[in-house]
Amino acid sequence: MAAPTSRPLEYLEGLPGGIFLQLYKQPSTALAIFRRMLPDLAKCFVMALLYLKDPLPTADLEIWVKAESKKQRDNALSILGRLHILSTTRTENNARAYMVTNPFASSLRQALTGSEDTQSFGVFSQVPDQSTITVSDLDEYARRQWEGVLGYMVGTSALSGRDSVNLSKGVRQLLQAGNLVDIRDRRVEITKDGFGFVLQDVNTQVWHIMILYVESAQSLGMDSVEVLSFLFLLSSLELGQSYEKKHLSSTQLQTLANLADFGIVYQETPEATRFYPTRLATTLTSDSSALGNPTSGSLSGPESGGASSGFIIIETNYRLYAYTSSPLQISLISLFTNLKYRFPNLITGKITRQSVRRAIEMGITAEQIISYLMSHAHPQLRKHNAAHSTSNTIQPSVLPPTVTDQIRLWQLERDRVRATAGFLFKDFNTSAEYDAPCRYAAEIGVLVWKSNRKRMFFVSRHEQVAAFLRDRAVGK
Amino acid sequence: MPRAVKGLLIECDPSIKSMILKYDEERRDYIVEDLDDENHLVIKESQLENLKMRLDKDLDEKIMQLDESESE
Repeated sequence: MAAPTSRPLEYLEGLPGGIFLQLYKQPSTALAIFRRMLPDLAKCFVMALLYLKDPLPTADLEIWVKAESKKQRDNALSILGRLHILSTTRTENNARAYMVTNPFASSLRQALTGSEDTQSFGVFSQVPDQSTITVSDLDEYARRQWEGVLGYMVGTSALSGRDSVNLSKGVRQLLQAGNLVDIRDRRVEITKDGFGFVLQDVNTQVWHIMILYVESAQSLGMDSVEVLSFLFLLSSLELGQSYEKKHLSSTQLQTLANLADFGIVYQETPEATRFYPTRLATTLTSDSSALGNPTSGSLSGPESGGASSGFIIIETNYRLYAYTSSPLQISLISLFTNLKYRFPNLITGKITRQSVRRAIEMGITAEQIISYLMSHAHPQLRKHNAAHSTSNTIQPSVLPPTVTDQIRLWQLERDRVRATAGFLFKDFNTSAEYDAPCRYAAEIGVLVWKSNRKRMFFVSRHEQVAAFLRDRAVGK
Repeated sequence: MPRAVKGLLIECDPSIKSMILKYDEERRDYIVEDLDDENHLVIKESQLENLKMRLDKDLDEKIMQLDESESE
């Protein structure tokens, strides 16, 4: 499947080419990028080219793809080019040809065949841990830390009191530097970006934070390339295994300590000789994370462990029932819902015009609300939907369409006027004088509105039209 | 001689347009050109935020009652 999150991809693309050369020296990075960032077709190309001795002529590669899929082919090739994986050269007969660049090729080959004993994929701890850490312990730890981070942003930690997580200064500074929260008079206020952030799925959130972290690494005195490739290393580790710390560099150790605050890795104490990656780390570059992923499931409530453990039910009358006791989820839902009752394991409320508008004023979009509701929809909603959808409907919606449509309409309501900046041309004496520039404006694509009767037209950019008019005036 | 005037082209429902026209009657400080069709007019660029706020406020007052009577 194609990479679901585009943000890491966008970030990587923005890096200078030299950084790629350094990154690709690590087999784990090459494999992670291959697995996560490339569309299927691009993966095919890479695999086909990886073990070729000579560059493959472009014409040869192009006939692999049917003519009607030209768009996908170009897209795949362009991504490969932007990530500096594929380069064009010339064959002996001077034909244009593709080849996989080094060190990406050699690293990926190494990752696939497992040659040499580099520490690129971490080193298992040989000695068993005295206190056994199970996968569910790790999930619990990751959930608590990550909810702590989100709770800090939304301001629930003050409300809940219980098992509030102590966030390190680094975490708080990072959130502030990333413009996700704003600190005024020692009070944390979430920003518009922050609202968008908390409603995203966990994997996107982790990537967002990680990119912020890499960006700020330099100011913490770390080499950002090393941090980035360490992230890719973490992402290829195995859940439930512990890894030796003694092979890590000082930068990597510092990164490790910081990531523990987010719940991305677990170590008993900062001085421990081993660390465990949590699910937040191991799903960074895998596909198993998109919707209804185990992490978001385990994050949605302490007792829910299933893969598709949604907990929100919405009725067609806009009433919302959420089976959760998590203060974080409750405060997220309350961002766009009028809550009415709270029971030990259930809250009920109603999505109203005011509640949605309040959310929109805070900078949350209708799409974010809908996608949040969608990804946390109760299995019962999905079942109901599956039973009612016939095969010929176009992508049936899990949520009642009346509700999703209305949420979108409420957002539209705020934009009652559509404004376009530009220039109004008027006072044309004859319709001939009016016609020509008007047609010209339409041709160059700047015409927004016109009235033949009043001999007026409105353009978004005036320079060319004005020049056109001047030229005609001179010509006369 | 043709002239070009800087401004914001506003596209809206006729009802909204008539509200804007009403605002403008007070001090003539919104409209650059009334385009004489149902849903377009050109306003001063600096007034957009002000206009949006005013529209939101007035519309809220008008529509709110309906919304409340609907709930529960």
